[in-house]
Amino acid sequence: MTRTLLIPAVLSMALAAGCSTKKGFEKPGFAFGCPIGEAKVSSMDDLVRTKVLAEGRRTTIQATEMRCSHSGDLLRIDANLNNDSKAVKRISYKFRWIDREGMRAWEEEPWKPVMLYENSNLVINTISPTNKAADFRLILRSEE
Amino acid sequence: MKARLVVAIAAAALAAGCAKETTRYGDARSVETITNQFGSTDLQMMAESMARSMQQAPVIASANLPIVTVQEVRNKTSEYIDTRAITDSIRSELQKGGRVRFAVDQAGMNPQVEELKRQQSELYAKDQRAEMGQMVGAQYRLEGNIISIVKQVRDTKDVYYKLNLQLWNIRNGLLEWSDEKEIRKTTTKG
Repeated sequence: MTRTLLIPAVLSMALAAGCSTKKGFEKPGFAFGCPIGEAKVSSMDDLVRTKVLAEGRRTTIQATEMRCSHSGDLLRIDANLNNDSKAVKRISYKFRWIDREGMRAWEEEPWKPVMLYENSNLVINTISPTNKAADFRLILRSEE
Repeated sequence: MKARLVVAIAAAALAAGCAKETTRYGDARSVETITNQFGSTDLQMMAESMARSMQQAPVIASANLPIVTVQEVRNKTSEYIDTRAITDSIRSELQKGGRVRFAVDQAGMNPQVEELKRQQSELYAKDQRAEMGQMVGAQYRLEGNIISIVKQVRDTKDVYYKLNLQLWNIRNGLLEWSDEKEIRKTTTKG
């Protein structure tokens, strides 16, 4: 009797552990696969706020999602940009690469112009240029 | 008469002053859209995109510093493009990333051989001069094409560029990696 009760109990505990939030599987210092260091990130919005900067002319284009993974010792990044306006928007973006000490891991990238159709999303992706890049920022500016 | 001359000289001086020329430094990495001909932004975007893609190729990512030689990127566009500048930028990015080594290419072969021969002279210390027959051959060769399609109707000109690069295994002739980067630019007058 005790044994028959014990087996479902163990199974339900294992199931509960398996069904815990995705974040439970993250390494410390990472959120959605992206390095966050000491920053407190509990949602996608927090991650986007931590990683996306605006420089130069401000744009209404918003980064809405960001996911990272490792390809060997390099960092792969996918970022979703959203244009929720009724007009075509032109922006440029670049990634800034930061090493473990918080110094620049790579020279400043060129601005890359992109066009977003009205009411549309565009996924931009990149991979770190060097394995010294431990963190990054996505920088956006308007080209209107 | 004298008064007229003074007025004329003053007007000329004023005109010269109005045509003042100013020179300022700018951001070499900003988006350049002065004309729709191949420009610095196109070069930088193509080089970065190709270098990042190439370093993910299994033969680059998994090998221990593979040796690559850069061959020609054929310019099949209707305008003059220094394709060497594209491959030089790709080479710099890959070299800085520390994943690839580059062997001397065809363009650099003559100066390399000349220097090797020069060091064989009695003028150089025997134990420090570069020996003949020690150059390392490349395992892979990088080559490609850049094409453009230009269309113009009245006040609208559309230019489409496509750079295609390929990494060939020199020993067995297999294509190990290939990628493309496309750019479209449209200029409208008025």
